[in-house]
Amino acid sequence: MLHLIKLELKKGRFSAYVWGALLAYALIAAFMMAIYFTEGTASEEPAFRNYAEMLRGITTIVCATFVVYAAVLLAKLVVNEFRDKTISLLFAYPVSRKKIILAKLSMVFCWTFANVVLANAVVGGLLIAINARLGHLSDPLTARILYEHGIFVLMQAFGAAGTCLLPLVLGLRKKSVATTVASSILIVIIVCSNNGGFSLSNVVAVPVSLGLLGILGTYMSFRNIDRVDVG
Amino acid sequence: MTDIIRTRLLGKGYGAADTVSGVNMRVKRGEIYGFLGPNGAGKSTVMKMLLGLVKPTGGEIELFGERLHDGSIEHLKRIGHMIETPVFYEKLTAEQNLELHAEYMGYYNKRSIREALDLVQLLGVEGKPVKQFSLGMKQRLGIARAISTRPELLLLDEPINGLDPEGIQVMRNLFRRLRDEWGVALLISSHLLSEIEQVADTIGVIQGGRLIREVSMDAVRESTAAYVEIVTTDSVHAAFVLSERLGIANFKQVGERTIRIYDSKLTQEQLSKALIVNEVPIHSINRRHHTLEDYFFDMIKGGEGHAASHQAGA
Repeated sequence: MLHLIKLELKKGRFSAYVWGALLAYALIAAFMMAIYFTEGTASEEPAFRNYAEMLRGITTIVCATFVVYAAVLLAKLVVNEFRDKTISLLFAYPVSRKKIILAKLSMVFCWTFANVVLANAVVGGLLIAINARLGHLSDPLTARILYEHGIFVLMQAFGAAGTCLLPLVLGLRKKSVATTVASSILIVIIVCSNNGGFSLSNVVAVPVSLGLLGILGTYMSFRNIDRVDVG
Repeated sequence: MTDIIRTRLLGKGYGAADTVSGVNMRVKRGEIYGFLGPNGAGKSTVMKMLLGLVKPTGGEIELFGERLHDGSIEHLKRIGHMIETPVFYEKLTAEQNLELHAEYMGYYNKRSIREALDLVQLLGVEGKPVKQFSLGMKQRLGIARAISTRPELLLLDEPINGLDPEGIQVMRNLFRRLRDEWGVALLISSHLLSEIEQVADTIGVIQGGRLIREVSMDAVRESTAAYVEIVTTDSVHAAFVLSERLGIANFKQVGERTIRIYDSKLTQEQLSKALIVNEVPIHSINRRHHTLEDYFFDMIKGGEGHAASHQAGA
């Protein structure tokens, strides 16, 4: 399995994607800092009134970003292989088709999960550090808040990693990269949009069940892959 | 065990119509099998079924003496293939594509990759990304990829498509070399007989999804002997002269004014002289081959259900 993942990495220049992720971190951090500085304490309706709200805001943006990011990766790794017919090459190798697909999907799953966790840690840490100096948020930062948020982030990361498989299911039907990415954006808009401080994604059950749905949908679409005609 | 490929009543039906049906095919070790048929006859489908890319809806396939079933993959290590237009990871270089292929095939050998590139005369451009390659180069790279893992069976679908005359020659020599030196069995499809008649040991003709016939090229050559063709305005008299005066039995009238003489001991000069002496008006006289095209054309027409309109020999 690791060997298959290594071969997938050889196919595309994934260093570009690592840089892309770092850039995404920077942009998310900049965006959150902009909110922090402009809305600060002066605003009548601050975007976040305490640490918990701030950290959850970060999680929402991070999840949204990396679900779309994952859709792009899946388009490249899976949809493109079908569209360019290189899948007929892959499926004629003495390697189980399911393993080949599983290698691709688990790469994206792990990548998304890791990035969501890492981005939360980096951006969250940064804003906490800034607040320690400026003190716009005055509530005490307790271990309890951090612990609860940690669990929240892990659930969200799982949700995001599974949710990003949903666009793949849609995109594969049409073998279209555009469909894959567009549907990921649509999902993100529905789930992560903020309506007066409330967004669906903050109800942990929503992203987690979407994640499970993504995994189930993907399982269903690849269940019979051994018996499918290619090319 | 000398049969590399053996199919029994192999069939594939998409919905109502069968694209391939009842194919009984035998490819022996170390032979070049020419798989001949017009476009859309089902050549690619049969090859894809051998590779497991397309799942048969009927019959069975035996490769290397073992019957294939859903999900069998071990035999794929021993097969090299190029089906239809070869596909590559276009951004990668030719060499990277071959390395990747070798990794997936579980046969990694840097030397055999270079050797394969050398055999198809692509050494020197292996560092270029494949997207810069012309169709002919991709075709050759596809063949290089197929042979780079030292397979025992090669499935090549229209391998000569897109090659220039020199490239075709190179490929023909390569195919013979693979057969003679490595003992590879090659299944080469083509819609043009002229492309494969020079290299094939056996020819299988497929038409409308059915394998009409499987013949050895030796047998084909025997039945496509040379003949002398006379065009005359008085074919009745000519026939009389040929049989009664010259004692030739093996001739045949084709059309109103044309007569073909087979296996004649007489040379063309002697024949024309004898005919003129006997006052047969001769429009033209030529030595001809009953070409392989004719032979297979007859076969294909036969396969369509018409009686062969003219049989060689009398």
